[in-house]
Amino acid sequence: MKHSMLWAGALLATTALSPAYAQDSAVTIVLGEEPDLVEPCMATRSNIGRIVLGNISETLTELDVRGDEGLKPRLAESWELVNDNTWRFKLREGVTFSDGSTFDAADVKHSFDRAKSDQITCEISRYYEGIEITPSVVDEHTIDFTTEPAQPILPLLLSLLTIVPSETAIEFTREPVGTGPYVMSNWAPGQSITLERRDDYWGEAPAVSTANYVFRADPSVRAAMVQAGEADIAPSISAIDATTDMDASYPNSETTYLRIDHSVAPLDDKRVREALNIGIDREAFVGTILADGTQVATALNVPTTLGWNADTEARPYDPERAKALLEEAKADGVPVDTEILLVGRTGNFPGATETYEAIQSMLSEVGFNIRLQMVEVAEHEQYYSKPYVQDQPVLVGAQHDNSRGDPVFSMYFKYHSEGRQSGIADVKADDLITRATAATGDERVALWSELFGYLHDEVIADALLFHMVGHARVGNDVEFTPTIATNSQLQLSEIGLK
Amino acid sequence: MKTMLGKRAVSSLISLFVLIVMVFFLSRLTGDPAALYLPVDASEEMRQNFREIHGLNDPVIVQFGRYIGDLVQLDFGESLRKARPAIDVVLEAFVWTLWLALITMALVSVAAIVVGSIAAFNVGRPFDRVASVLSLIGASAPDFWIAIVGIVVFSVSYGLLPTSGTGTVWHWILPIAVLFIRPFGLILQIVRGSMINALGSPYVKTARAKGVKNRPVIFVHTLRNAMLPVITVIGDQAAALLNGAVVVETIFGFPGVGKLMIDSILQRDFNVILAAIMVTAIAIFLMNILIDIAYALLDPRIRT
Amino acid sequence: MTMTDTSDTVRAEEDPAKPVSGLRRVIAMLWADKLAFVAALFLLVIVLCAVFGPMFLQDMAAKTNLRARNAPPFELERGFFFILGGDALGRPLLARIIVAAQNTMMVAAGAVVASMIIGSALGLIAGYTGRWVGEAIMRLADVIMSFPSLLLAVIVLYMLSPSIANLVLVLAITRIPIYLRTTRAEVLEVRQRMFVQAAIVMGASNFRIVFKHILPVILPTLLTIATLDFAFVMLAESSLSFLGIGIQPPEITWGLMVSQGRQYLTSAWWLAFWPGLAIILTTMSLNLLSSWMRIALNPTQRWRLEIGAKKNG
Repeated sequence: MKHSMLWAGALLATTALSPAYAQDSAVTIVLGEEPDLVEPCMATRSNIGRIVLGNISETLTELDVRGDEGLKPRLAESWELVNDNTWRFKLREGVTFSDGSTFDAADVKHSFDRAKSDQITCEISRYYEGIEITPSVVDEHTIDFTTEPAQPILPLLLSLLTIVPSETAIEFTREPVGTGPYVMSNWAPGQSITLERRDDYWGEAPAVSTANYVFRADPSVRAAMVQAGEADIAPSISAIDATTDMDASYPNSETTYLRIDHSVAPLDDKRVREALNIGIDREAFVGTILADGTQVATALNVPTTLGWNADTEARPYDPERAKALLEEAKADGVPVDTEILLVGRTGNFPGATETYEAIQSMLSEVGFNIRLQMVEVAEHEQYYSKPYVQDQPVLVGAQHDNSRGDPVFSMYFKYHSEGRQSGIADVKADDLITRATAATGDERVALWSELFGYLHDEVIADALLFHMVGHARVGNDVEFTPTIATNSQLQLSEIGLK
Repeated sequence: MKTMLGKRAVSSLISLFVLIVMVFFLSRLTGDPAALYLPVDASEEMRQNFREIHGLNDPVIVQFGRYIGDLVQLDFGESLRKARPAIDVVLEAFVWTLWLALITMALVSVAAIVVGSIAAFNVGRPFDRVASVLSLIGASAPDFWIAIVGIVVFSVSYGLLPTSGTGTVWHWILPIAVLFIRPFGLILQIVRGSMINALGSPYVKTARAKGVKNRPVIFVHTLRNAMLPVITVIGDQAAALLNGAVVVETIFGFPGVGKLMIDSILQRDFNVILAAIMVTAIAIFLMNILIDIAYALLDPRIRT
Repeated sequence: MTMTDTSDTVRAEEDPAKPVSGLRRVIAMLWADKLAFVAALFLLVIVLCAVFGPMFLQDMAAKTNLRARNAPPFELERGFFFILGGDALGRPLLARIIVAAQNTMMVAAGAVVASMIIGSALGLIAGYTGRWVGEAIMRLADVIMSFPSLLLAVIVLYMLSPSIANLVLVLAITRIPIYLRTTRAEVLEVRQRMFVQAAIVMGASNFRIVFKHILPVILPTLLTIATLDFAFVMLAESSLSFLGIGIQPPEITWGLMVSQGRQYLTSAWWLAFWPGLAIILTTMSLNLLSSWMRIALNPTQRWRLEIGAKKNG
């Protein structure tokens, strides 16, 4: 039976006319990758978050990425620290879910428990690891979060927790229910996802009434669709195609770097690491292989991040000194002639292959013995995460995204000796990370800042490359300005119609 | 004929089983699904949990036994990524690819036989040369390249066709055109070569010697004798289309099984991979049986 | 492809008793078909490039120079090897195409030759020997055929690294069935023909029948397929590159160059065009040569030339 229905469906699809863009306030957004789930608790994954976050599901708090208001209330009206370990959130009243039920503190608790549940593997729970967090309902519109140890940035962490109704089963759903201004009205797998505006949304009704998401893997096709008027917004197109006045570039909070495993010679030698750094002519990439606007990085986090250290300066390109450093190290018996494997990930960012080829070429020039290997995502992961390949020195070209304003989302993983992707094991760095994570206010800023400087100047932890820019193409009928968060979320309420 | 088909069905089932075994073990060797499915910084605990839920901790042989058991009940399991039965995901996609392949192959077969025959009757004349060269150039260009040029020219510059996607008849034109080019070139060459061969074969020579001047008669005689290798190649090309539409489907955002398979491999979604292979394999086996029947009908000597 | 300029060829072949040195005879036969002659020359150049190119031009082809990024073609100020322009890293395209010829030829020739030899050998066995062996071989072909070739490639290239040898292996395996089935189909047809039946009656050995009587008849078809397969393999390798799982930089092949240049299609067409042209020209040359070989090798094709001679003059 199912068969014949499918056949009939395909037949219909071949003959039916295209779903006319009925209302003027409908927009079509073309993305690179179809989500496999539209599951609120997976919203930290960018392909899901771009559809879910702020559209279907909302969070208690929200980071202002357009202005500089910092953390703003969304489903929570206010929050305060009751004691060192307890945060109290006052919830918004009169909010309903798209299934008609009313939003209250029990929903928040359920959402948190569901995300942390070991019955499903929710991705947002990874941000709550290592902290004991216990939500407890105070009254219908008040909820306490008790943490162990103290968690000064808990409100920021909760900007990731998507709220689902307390009836939601603890298994992945394909019909997400949320408090957001939109509800998913149709999902034709492989083709499109449609969101419809809700009439009973608690906040201001957004201008866009219907959003249709379609998916095309090739960036030039995405760009062509907007140009041909088949789509209104392509949030991510290739810099090469971004040549029309419909295109806008934006810092996308991604940072590329070469992760160095310090435990294998010759990369355990600081001079060799410095030579690596000054042997790459970073400026030469900007405006050529990589888009104009790309910034040379001095930290793994973008400059808008808390505690970003303005005093660290990028090491200038100096091939002569690089050669000299290598000679010096060689004279001391460091095996600088050892073949170093540079692992890059195919399609990691536009121009990835060319970038790594150019880096290989530059490093070979100053005397390194570099072999480049481009790999796909699963193999890349084997090099990127512990346990590391140890039979030869390895540089892992990677890209890290943290648009959430605080280094805590990066530092432990990337630099703590226990971190799964850390190339270093440094007592001082460990200590700084631990202290900064627990600190608040100016102290937090100072500690992160010290860590950034220490990693870049003293340890030479890695070869930081660039803060990347993305390119969006926006059709002439809509108004939309991409932000640093556009990679991970795209709120339809931020789209204006002309 | 009946016994032949019966034997064929039995041996097909054996082949199918071999395929299942090979694919299952090969795909389990390509990586830890827990490592790929979970976020890169997932804890070991999360990984363990995931493996536990999906039975990935059991020895491979136990997993395989369970898989076969389910298979017998036509249960391909859940898609690891999509929280839906794998077979649903695959069938949905397969229908799209099937239509794409059927339409393309019908057009290709007709066009290649017509053009190839005309070329064979006019060996060395301008028509033959132009047809050969053009089809060859078309078949020599990478399909992703043709697809993107096609989009740039027909959709962006002239706005004649939609860039990609599905929905209307117009959406099918570019993908079919791109898929058409390569098998057309190949089958055209085979038709032409085979027709030239057949024109030189005893039967046709006899016919000519007997003074049959009637071109249609010669054509039918020749075509019948030339069809054997042509049918083989058409069958092979149809199979190649079924599993090779990956590139075209990826570029045009076509929700077919080729794209699904590549996505599933990249995501290590085993159940979908296996279900997709099973469905594709069954389709190809069915087609092979059709080819055998066509053979038998065309050439009575092969009928055993 | 060209049947008119071949009368010399045929004469040379019609008189096999005439003692002419092998190479000169081949050249003379080639000269008779001017297009085939040009094609053979072109392929010779490609083979020379493949053998010697990397030896002399490897460094130049790998030297990046961002100032010459996407340098337009037909300008000589950067040197002769920039005549076709520069690529996205400012490497001279001509030098890269020459160096890439080696990998391209190794992959394509390796895969085609391997699959043709294995496939046609199995096809001969399947078509000529008993039912059971034949059936078993055909089922093997079915298994390979029903295993999506790109999927096979992806899985194997994930498990093993995407090296040239592995790529050849994967592509060869996926191409075996086409030779196998074609050969078997032709054998089934040819073995019924009068001259084969006569040979069997006269008690010729199986070996002799297969190699003297059957193989020559089916070889033209196999060569036609092999020629087109050569193109197919080059393109398959290119598609794998497009999907990001083929040969990985810094190794280069023409297919990879097309795939990498694709994104510059609207801004710097030459990046994808020249290597694409190399693929097309190589394919066409092979095809022209195979048409010529069909006549040069196969005595049963002679009637065409008789007709051609009548028609043409």
